[in-house]
Amino acid sequence: MQRKANRGDGQPVAQAESELELIHQAQRGDRKAFGQLVRRHREGVVNVVYRLCGDEDLAEDAAQEAFIRAWTNLPKYRPRSAFRNWLYRIANNVAIDALRREKETVELEAVPLAHPDGGPGALVERRERGETVRQAVLDLPPASRAVIVLREYEGLSYKEIADTLDIPMGTVMSRLNYARGLLRQSLAPYMEGA
Amino acid sequence: MKEHARHWLGAYLDGELRGLRLRWVESHLKECAVCHSELEALARLRTLLLESPAMEAATPPDRFVAQVALRLPRRQEQPPAQRALELSWRMVPVGLLFALAFVQTAFTIAGVLQVALSMGLGGDMVALLLPSSGGGVSFPDLAGLSQASLAGAFGAMVELIQTGGALAWFPVLYLSLLVVIGLLYWSWLATWWARRRHQQLTASNNRL
Repeated sequence: MQRKANRGDGQPVAQAESELELIHQAQRGDRKAFGQLVRRHREGVVNVVYRLCGDEDLAEDAAQEAFIRAWTNLPKYRPRSAFRNWLYRIANNVAIDALRREKETVELEAVPLAHPDGGPGALVERRERGETVRQAVLDLPPASRAVIVLREYEGLSYKEIADTLDIPMGTVMSRLNYARGLLRQSLAPYMEGA
Repeated sequence: MKEHARHWLGAYLDGELRGLRLRWVESHLKECAVCHSELEALARLRTLLLESPAMEAATPPDRFVAQVALRLPRRQEQPPAQRALELSWRMVPVGLLFALAFVQTAFTIAGVLQVALSMGLGGDMVALLLPSSGGGVSFPDLAGLSQASLAGAFGAMVELIQTGGALAWFPVLYLSLLVVIGLLYWSWLATWWARRRHQQLTASNNRL
């Protein structure tokens, strides 16, 4: 997935306003409005869950679970924080729960680290490198993994990450530093060619 | 100092630094080769991380939305009576504010009237209003009240004020009303705070 061009809430004003209207309608029980919100945020939520748990089948199911939890808790949502960040917070919690349940499965399906010289062609090599990176992210401690996923793949600011994970800004920065340090170690063979 | 600047390199790369700290890191990077190469390494890591492909969703968006819609539970709606009760509860401070305004206005008018009468400014008015005065003023027949009853009520009030009886009960009544309104408001505030705290505890227990 490409880095999001926008920072902050990442939405134009008109879209944000119409999203607010959809949220209000969904809070009043409008399932169609909620469907629109699901459509808008499906990709982001699925990818956050996928990056956090590393299993495609699990990710789609967990993303649906996240939206269901969002529906249940929607009356309690107040637009103080961006809806997307609120959803990511739920997605993060769902992913943690899903990982807890599926821990053994994920370990069985874990992809072994590929050697940087392995593979016949550039495409294969690139694919292997991608898988290695994915696995390195999955090997991070859950708390550090969440901040690196939200920062590097979803483009959230430190403030948004802090709001999403309900942690102080300083903790966001220290977890990011820690995660980057670990990733540099585990991905050292690839760092020169990146 | 060098170690400290290195600590902020990630935030610098993320565009999260502002003002003095930003300028400090920037100037430090110009003179410190170690931190400069550290920053380049962080940038390479970022590039490498983006090589990990995003998930290609197996389920088309429409189907995904439909699947979510099928799994959505029925949300418990608040009954109309409960909603009305909730609205009334939220309107209590507004009602108390109106009550306070009414009390203030009524006692201000009464006070002004009392002062006016004590200065002998209202003598003619009393003569006109008191039933015993036999004044020939024509009152409009408002809200079904007869001329005599209107004049009687007003006259009694003026007489009470004039005789000095009001001096004794005005401050007591005024303060009592203020105390009652104040107590009601603080009780409402305490209940609101308790309810909010309870809701927060419930929300944190029912982790999203």
